Amino acid sequence: MDDDDYWNTSETKAKAFSFDDDVLSTQEILAIGQKSYASPGQSEESLFNNISISTVQSAAIPLNSLVSSKVLDLILLAQSGKDPSKETKYEPEQTVAMTLKRLTLGRSCSLHVHRSMKSKTELLDGALAIGDGNAVLTVVLFLIQTLNKKLVYELLSSRPVALNHYIAFLQNEGKISELTDLLTMLGRSPDAAMYQYQHTVKTQGNNVDVLLRKLGNLLANHFNQPGVDQHQAKMIADYVKLLEWQKHVNKPELQYRSVIEWLAYNCAHHWHEGAGNAMSPLTLCQRHQITPLQYDWVVLNVHAKSGKWDIVESLFTKKDWFGRTTISSNIPMETLLSRLSQLQASKQLLATCLNKVASSDDRLRLAHMYKIHAVVIETLAKQKDRTALTNYKMTLNPQSEEYILAENTLRDNSIKWKN
Amino acid sequence: MDHQPLASKLASLCLISQCKLKEILVLCGDKKDLIIDPTLIKPLERICGVSWLRQHGIDKIYKMDPQLGSTANKIRVYFIPACILKYKCVLDQISSVLSQNPALADQKCFHIIIVPKVLTTYDSVLESKGLYGIVKLHTFSWELMALDEQLLSLELPFLFKQLFVEQNHSLLSSISMSLWSMFHVTGKPRTIFSVGKLSASVLDMLEIYNETYARDFLDTHSSKEIGALIVIDRNQDYASSLLTPATYSGLLSELFNINCGHLDLNVKETKLKKGKLNFGSEEEAGSSKNTTMTLDSNIDTLYGEIKHRHFSEVLSVLSSKAKLLKNEDIKALGIQEIKQFVATKLQQVSLFKQNLVNHVLACETIISEMSNKFENLKLAETEMLNNRNKKSNFTFVDENFGTDIHIYNSLRLMCLLSLTQSLTYDEYNALISKYLLAFGYKYLYVFNNLINAGLLVQPSSPKLSLNISNLGNLSDRLPKWQNEFQSTANKLKQLPSQADKVGKACPSYVFHGGYVPLIAVLCNALLTSDTFADALAKLSAVSDLRVGGTILEKFKDGIETLNEKLSNMKLQSDLEFGCKDVRGLARVLKSEPNKGGCFPLKPKTVLVYVIGGVNYAEVAACDVIQTNTGSKIIVASDCIASGADLMAANT
Repeated sequence: MDDDDYWNTSETKAKAFSFDDDVLSTQEILAIGQKSYASPGQSEESLFNNISISTVQSAAIPLNSLVSSKVLDLILLAQSGKDPSKETKYEPEQTVAMTLKRLTLGRSCSLHVHRSMKSKTELLDGALAIGDGNAVLTVVLFLIQTLNKKLVYELLSSRPVALNHYIAFLQNEGKISELTDLLTMLGRSPDAAMYQYQHTVKTQGNNVDVLLRKLGNLLANHFNQPGVDQHQAKMIADYVKLLEWQKHVNKPELQYRSVIEWLAYNCAHHWHEGAGNAMSPLTLCQRHQITPLQYDWVVLNVHAKSGKWDIVESLFTKKDWFGRTTISSNIPMETLLSRLSQLQASKQLLATCLNKVASSDDRLRLAHMYKIHAVVIETLAKQKDRTALTNYKMTLNPQSEEYILAENTLRDNSIKWKN
Repeated sequence: MDHQPLASKLASLCLISQCKLKEILVLCGDKKDLIIDPTLIKPLERICGVSWLRQHGIDKIYKMDPQLGSTANKIRVYFIPACILKYKCVLDQISSVLSQNPALADQKCFHIIIVPKVLTTYDSVLESKGLYGIVKLHTFSWELMALDEQLLSLELPFLFKQLFVEQNHSLLSSISMSLWSMFHVTGKPRTIFSVGKLSASVLDMLEIYNETYARDFLDTHSSKEIGALIVIDRNQDYASSLLTPATYSGLLSELFNINCGHLDLNVKETKLKKGKLNFGSEEEAGSSKNTTMTLDSNIDTLYGEIKHRHFSEVLSVLSSKAKLLKNEDIKALGIQEIKQFVATKLQQVSLFKQNLVNHVLACETIISEMSNKFENLKLAETEMLNNRNKKSNFTFVDENFGTDIHIYNSLRLMCLLSLTQSLTYDEYNALISKYLLAFGYKYLYVFNNLINAGLLVQPSSPKLSLNISNLGNLSDRLPKWQNEFQSTANKLKQLPSQADKVGKACPSYVFHGGYVPLIAVLCNALLTSDTFADALAKLSAVSDLRVGGTILEKFKDGIETLNEKLSNMKLQSDLEFGCKDVRGLARVLKSEPNKGGCFPLKPKTVLVYVIGGVNYAEVAACDVIQTNTGSKIIVASDCIASGADLMAANT
């Protein structure tokens, strides 16, 4: 926290939120807060040893004045799903409505008294009308048990909510082939394909070959159906391509890594390998259609993080006609600046970036934001704004390099100040 | 039982939870081990403590782990959420214990407590694994937990995924149950509204509970403490989840993990950092334990003062507090005064200092991680909301996907753009390709889940739209009328015309002046209407609005029981048992605009219950309405969920 550089940057950033000027800095507040005060991190975290004080404090009302004991018994009864003791006699004639009510209340009940198609349909529609998913699913599973599949599918096809409950059930149970049959029968093979895909990737083990075989099957049998989105099919084909390539390269640390993660690895370890080479970053870009923007971003981050600023500069700067250094990157300037500043790039590099910003107002704003004093001073000089520059000088540290620069600029006779 | 303040009553709901748990533990035998799923520890701490558990026969406590070996006692009580995978994992463990010691089968020593309820399918799974009769399942439907002043949560964070992504409504009745229990304490509100299908079902089921237990329901009077209840489905206002919040508590939830009102102050590895690609040579992951902050104004008054503030104001508040502390210098005091200080205030002051330090550290983290992009993000979001500059908004999102992509927040942007301005087939696929390159092709299914949840609209392929055989399927897949979002939002006055000129009196400040959350609009309409017709007129643009409560009884021809209702029902229609579509009421209201006499609301207290997770920005927006209308708004939900949490539920 006492690192000055960090402090300066975070103070700068605080300005972006436009705080009042007479406000103490966070550092000052921390100093007051931490005075005569032990470690801030006295946290205790083990199972149950910080029994919430809140429970004890706020539970001010004793239970018996919160609810009467009769009501409390009722609440407990409702949780248990048991029948009230007075109603122990089971009524022999079970209506659809009674069954549904028992289901909704979580009471035990047998659906098997409902044998006619009419009462089965009524059960399903009643459960749907009430909206209790537990009842809906219970009824659907009962129908599956007692009706032939074709009839159930017919009922489900016109009742999407019931169908969704059954789909969720099959998914959770891992009964994917049943799910596929159902959806195919209902003319929803694209959905079936996607559910299969989801199941495959979520249950993938550590064996790439098994995964590859399953994906191959999916592509050949399900993602070639009419109605399947072409882009989805392409993405899965690309996945297969990636896995095959990773298998071929055979590096355990790259297994199941994303393309960008792989690219980052290649940039870090195989930077100098040319296109066509298996591990070359360029080869990967071609094979997986990595956009120039994504490529620049990865290269910037990887090399900056490992301190190879020479590579960053050689890639993102070039000399123009007049021999001046200028920035050339696919990353939009504001994003680039923000990232460079986070990565603690040199002021020189930041200044080069800023100089590329055409609008002098934008340049000034950004230069203020990232505290690139030289650019602020130069821009103000170009705008011939002596007042602003004088004010800016006051905010600088006397005797600092930028202070002297500001002073010299103000003394420069060749500038025709507008104020 | 009406003399206690509402806040204390709500905070005391945990005693009912405790009673419910006790009832279950009594059935589990004398001396037993508790094996608890780690996600349930924090919520359980709000219900009881270790000593309470000991008093109720729990000897040792273990964290649930598939590799868990032998435990101290014969009787095992598992405590898990209603997730089928966790349930099966427990059953597998029990089977393996049994295979080593088959004699245990007859000794009634396996119990599983499931929050919030045991589903019928769980019984079938038990049966199919040959464990029926050996393992006993118990439903534990704990009550709403008072996380903060006027903020209640059921703490079931998996509900959004089940209800909206999988569209599995099996646990929906738990919401009804939580309301039903609570109304025993607070009384039933006279006026009830629902927005959305799930909310309507919740009210129908609530009515079934009411009917079933009616004769025992002692307090048939309507509530003297809650004037109205609004239940709303999360998918009725996704924009509020997708937008980046501007309030302090909202930003806290963007960066830090918050579980059951406890924030894990991990300043090194924030949620923002963890969701991005790491290009190597990152500072080593600190495994050190972090400070925990309790986000409860009753405990941390400082938090209470800043939680709803626009973030730009927070540091100046903290600074003024620090100045006050500085003035309270102990050196200036005499001996007696010091003694007095130590005895009465020292603890308070040092707690306050600790809170101050924590909030400053949190602020610094927010500034250092968000400020760079904040302005541009804010601008893009506001432009999307107002359907302006579609092209540059897409460029902004596309650039984000190509550079600083985040596993959840980038999806959020894509969803927001899709819902507000819609994406073309090519734009949609360009984003998907970039996302998959960054995080792996396996995530292709995520986009289908987002579509199912209604968070994303899939543009139809140019080729596909010519294929007539697909037409039936297509109609609901075609991009909706492009300006649907804006036209509804404009009718409900959710989009202030000049976002940057919005003051604190407008709830839209929670999203930089760009958008008023729907729940704030609903509360405001109910609290500022003099008649029922007036309220409905203000909300005429809300789709799927229904009305319930005692007001509904005034419209009924006679009271129908569930049995009658079901037998008179037309095929595949809505039940309308606990609530009724407002469109049917227009005629009656014409002659009698304030039928039922519920308006203006009395008491001026509204309970708003969001199904599928509420966020801190929405809570802050309700706070503004509360101040503007001199009322009280209590916000409840199944959990507190940020936009990133919603995205995570789709992966």
